[in-house]
Amino acid sequence: MSVMRLGYVHARVTDLAEAKRHYGNTMGLYPMHEEAGRVYYKAWDEYDHHSLVLEEGGVGLVKLGYKVSDPADLDRYEKRAEQFGCIVERMSAGDNLEVGDGIRIVLPSDHVVELYSDMTLVGTEVGTHNPDVFPRHLVGVGAPRIDHALITAEDPGLVDRFFREVLDFYAAERVATSLDDDAQIIGSWLSTSNTPHDIAVIGGPNSKLHHFAFELTDWSEIKRAGGLFAMDDVPVDVGPTQHGITRGETIYYFDPSGNRNEVFSGGYTTFPDRPTVTWTVDQLAKGIFYISRELNERFTSVLT
Amino acid sequence: MPTLTVQPGIVVDLHDDETVLEGLYRHGYAYRTGCRRGGCGICKVDLVEGTVRYPAAVSPDVLDDDELASGTCLSCRAVPEDAVTIALRQEELRRNPWFAFADAAKARIAPPPGRPGGHPTHERARGADHR
Repeated sequence: MSVMRLGYVHARVTDLAEAKRHYGNTMGLYPMHEEAGRVYYKAWDEYDHHSLVLEEGGVGLVKLGYKVSDPADLDRYEKRAEQFGCIVERMSAGDNLEVGDGIRIVLPSDHVVELYSDMTLVGTEVGTHNPDVFPRHLVGVGAPRIDHALITAEDPGLVDRFFREVLDFYAAERVATSLDDDAQIIGSWLSTSNTPHDIAVIGGPNSKLHHFAFELTDWSEIKRAGGLFAMDDVPVDVGPTQHGITRGETIYYFDPSGNRNEVFSGGYTTFPDRPTVTWTVDQLAKGIFYISRELNERFTSVLT
Repeated sequence: MPTLTVQPGIVVDLHDDETVLEGLYRHGYAYRTGCRRGGCGICKVDLVEGTVRYPAAVSPDVLDDDELASGTCLSCRAVPEDAVTIALRQEELRRNPWFAFADAAKARIAPPPGRPGGHPTHERARGADHR
């Protein structure tokens, strides 16, 4: 068995009250638990206890949690990550609220990734018995699910290799210096599911976050989210537009601490045997923003 | 009402509780910025004169005590308390041409005090561009 999905993003925020206004009222996430300096959120179509942990103090990423399908996966991934040369430690049930035993891996890019096989099941907001198609009283954007994260690394090729060789991800798309065999990887969109990315990595400083994304159902929901961003004075980075890479539709925007978020919809269905798509650097802008074919400086330089 | 001067000599009025960046945007000025929420530090400028406060929390990773003490101003979060002067860092203050056009139009509607009549000269209207 294998890694199933991005389970949680644990991020830092400078002001928890402001962050709650954004993630609660604007994004419409459900607060599941609150303690001193921390709040735990779940999106409506998720059934595990939480998918976003916000911690007061600073900005950027604390760690990412990926859920594996079987406890036995943890042993296998622990061995492989050690063989790859990563720092790996065991974590016990309760180290993370409502999360079972797992392992904590420090990536070659200094990001922390946790793997776990169990989180308390609380159910979606529509349940499993004759469910409605969405909850009647969604707030704001009403995002159904967290989707992926983009991190930066000094050696994105190494992180690409880590996710493939250690965690059985496959590269759906890459940006490379050329189409030659000795090309350097500049960015990689890696999947462990049927969506084009469950994690992505692009060249930049180690341990930094470019963005984490919420999935929306379709393009019209992206536009509606944009309207809510205008109402709530959310600073927008780019969009609404479409990606060449993944083909997804998007708006990038910033939370009240300056962490970049994305609402993402669409994107093709993919499988592990899909040939990896390669973009050359000269076409990078088209790959990222297919319609405008322009990368703004803010999009490429703001990291937290 | 605080006033903000951007060296060498652009002066704008700010609302109380308005950040440096919000005030400049409202008057049609712009320079390179990032997240506009204190997370990235791209909009840092030099505080040349005056006092600013930071009502919203700012991460010390973005603006540390040494920078604060030595006059770095995180313009998306800094709220001037009085007459404040800033200098941009390797950036040029850009004016949106539509705002400049609007200034010129306003000058045509309202003659300056002491000047009778409602027909300011073309030179006068253009002068408003360059105040």
